[in-house]
Amino acid sequence: MSTYTTREQAVAVFSHLFEIMLRDETFTSTMRRDGLSVRFVHTAPEFEMYVDPDGVRIDDSPATAALAIKMSCDTAHALWSGHLLMPVAVAMGRIRIKGSVAKVIEFAPLLQPAFDRYPAIAREAGVAA
Amino acid sequence: MTAVDVHAFADTSLTEPTLTEPTFTSLPAHAEELRRLVREFAQTRLRPAVRRLDEADAADFDWELVTEAHQLGLTRLVIPRHLGGLGYGELGVAVALEELAAVDAGFALIFGATMLGQAPLLLSGDAGVQARFLPLFAGDDPVLACNAITEERAGCDLLIPEAAEHAIGVTRARREGDHYVVDGAKMFITNGKVAHYGTVFANLEGHPGASGLTCFVIPLDAPGVTRGAVADKMGYRACLGTELQFDGVRVPAENMIGGEGGGVFINIAQMNMARAAVAAIATGVARGALDLAIAWCDERVQGGKRLREHQFTARKLAEMAAKVEASRLMYLRAAHLADTRVPAPVFETATAKLFADRIAIEVAEEGMSLMGARGYVRDWGMEKYLREALGSRIYEGTPEVLALAVTDAIYTEDDGDF
Ligand SMILES: Cc1cc2nc3c(=O)[nH]c(=O)nc-3n(C[C@H](O)[C@H](O)[C@H](O)COP(=O)(O)OP(=O)(O)OC[C@H]3O[C@@H](n4cnc5c(N)ncnc54)[C@H](O)[C@@H]3O)c2cc1C
Repeated sequence: MSTYTTREQAVAVFSHLFEIMLRDETFTSTMRRDGLSVRFVHTAPEFEMYVDPDGVRIDDSPATAALAIKMSCDTAHALWSGHLLMPVAVAMGRIRIKGSVAKVIEFAPLLQPAFDRYPAIAREAGVAA
Repeated sequence: MTAVDVHAFADTSLTEPTLTEPTFTSLPAHAEELRRLVREFAQTRLRPAVRRLDEADAADFDWELVTEAHQLGLTRLVIPRHLGGLGYGELGVAVALEELAAVDAGFALIFGATMLGQAPLLLSGDAGVQARFLPLFAGDDPVLACNAITEERAGCDLLIPEAAEHAIGVTRARREGDHYVVDGAKMFITNGKVAHYGTVFANLEGHPGASGLTCFVIPLDAPGVTRGAVADKMGYRACLGTELQFDGVRVPAENMIGGEGGGVFINIAQMNMARAAVAAIATGVARGALDLAIAWCDERVQGGKRLREHQFTARKLAEMAAKVEASRLMYLRAAHLADTRVPAPVFETATAKLFADRIAIEVAEEGMSLMGARGYVRDWGMEKYLREALGSRIYEGTPEVLALAVTDAIYTEDDGDF
C-alpha cells in the first residue's frame, strides 16, 4: 500500500518540508547565488512542486526549472526518512533527475536538514514511518 | 603534505563551466578552452616524454609531469568549486582525456583513475566525507586517488550485479563498534602505488559472494595497508597498476559511503558516469594512430606517388577517419547526457565505450599496416597505440560486460520523458 493515500496529504507534507528548508538562510542564499530552482515531479499520488528561493508552488511550475526530479511519493518518503540512500535510489532508477549534474552534486549536501526534519513532519501529518 | 587552500584555484583562468549543449559542430566555450589548454600541454610537454614513459620500469612514475598537469587543474576537474575544484562535468573531462590519450593513454588514465576515486564521494552526497577528502586535491602538490574493485578471483563478477552473489574470495569488511575492519587484496589498481586514498569495495560479513559490496574511503598510509607489486603491463605504462593488500585495516564508520551493501549501486553509477570519459581515452588512442598514419601516408612514396594517392590506402585512411569522428560524436553525446541526467544513461555511455574500444584497435591495427615494417618497430610509435587500444577495452567494462549492460538497457522499458 502507498504511504500517501491522498494527494492533499502528500502535497501538505512535501511542501511544508521545503517551506521549512527555505527558512534556512544558507540554503536560500545558495539557491539564489547558483540560480537554482527545482521542479519535483511526484507520482502516486501525482503532483508537481516547484521550489525556488522565493517559495514553494504546487502544480504551477515554470518550464525553466534548473533541475527536474522525478520520483514516486513512496520513494520520496523512503528517501527523506533515511531508509533509502540517494545513490541506491539513483542506481535503481527510482529517482530520475534532469539538469546540470554538477549542480546536483553541489546541491545534494545542502539537503541534509531535510532528512533531519522530514520524519517529524510526516509523523505530524499522520504518515506512517 | 602542504596545507590546503580550497580557494587557491578559485580564480583560475579557466571559465566557470556552464551547461551549454554541445552542438554537432562545436563544444561549449568552457570545454573548448580546456581542450586547447590540455592539447598544448600534451603536444609540447607530454609528447617529448612518451618514449621514456613507455620504456621505463613498470614501477617508475613521473611526478614532475603529473605536477604540471595538476597545475592545469587535471586532478580536480570534477570537484565542486566550493571545495576548491573546477566544477567540470564529464564533457570537459572527456575532451581533456582525449587530448592526453592521443599522446599517451597511460598518462590520461592517471587522471581518469583519480576521478574514479573522487566519484563515489561526489555521488554519495555526504558533505562530511567530501569536506574531509576532496579539498586535498586543491593544494600546491598533486594528490591522486584510486578506485579499487578488481581482485585475484573476482574481476567482472564485481561489475555485473547478477554475478555478484557468485564472486569468490572477495575482500571482507566487518563492523566493530564505530569502525569497520577490512581484510583482503586488490589488483591492477591504477594509481594504487601513488594515490593518497582509495575508494575500496569490500563485501560485508554475512553476505554471500559480493552481494554485500560496500564502499570505503581508505587512506593508503593507514596501518595494515600494503602497496604491493606493480603489474608489468604491455601498454598504459605511464600509470601504475598495483596490488593493494588490506590486513585488519580499521576504517572509521564515517568513511563508509553509500550505505552498507550500497557498493554495487555506487559502482554502477560511477561506471555509467565514467564510461564516456573512458570512451574518450580510446577515441584519443585512435586519433593518435590516425594522425600518425595521415602524416606517414603524406610522406611515404611508393610506386611513384605518395601512399595517400593510392586508392587502397586512401580508402583505409578514410575509414579510419570516419571511425574516429563517429566515436568522438558518440562519446560527446554520452558525456553530455551524463552531465544532464541522473542516473547517467546506460545505453549511450556503454555503446560509446563499446564502439570506441573496438575502433581504437581497428584504427591502430590499420595504422600499423600502413606503416609497413615501421609500424612494427618501437621507434615509430604506432605499435604503442595498438598496445594501448587493447588495454582500453579491459577496464570499466570488457566488451562482454558492456554487451550485457547495453542489451539490458535495450530491453528495459523507459517510463518516458518528464
Ligand atoms: C589498464 C588497466 C587499468 C585498470 N585499472 C583498474 C583500476 O583502477 N581499478 C580496478 O579495480 N581494476 C582495474 N583494472 C582491472 C580491470 O577492471 C579488470 O581487469 C576487468 O574488470 C576484468 O576483470 P579480470 O581481468 O579479472 O577478467 P575476468 O573477469 O576473469 O574476465 C575474463 C574474460 O571473461 C569475460 N567474462 C567474465 N564474466 C563474464 C560474464 N558473466 N559473461 C560473459 N563474459 C564474461 C570477460 O569479458 C573477459 O573477456 C584495470 C585493467 C587494466 C588493463
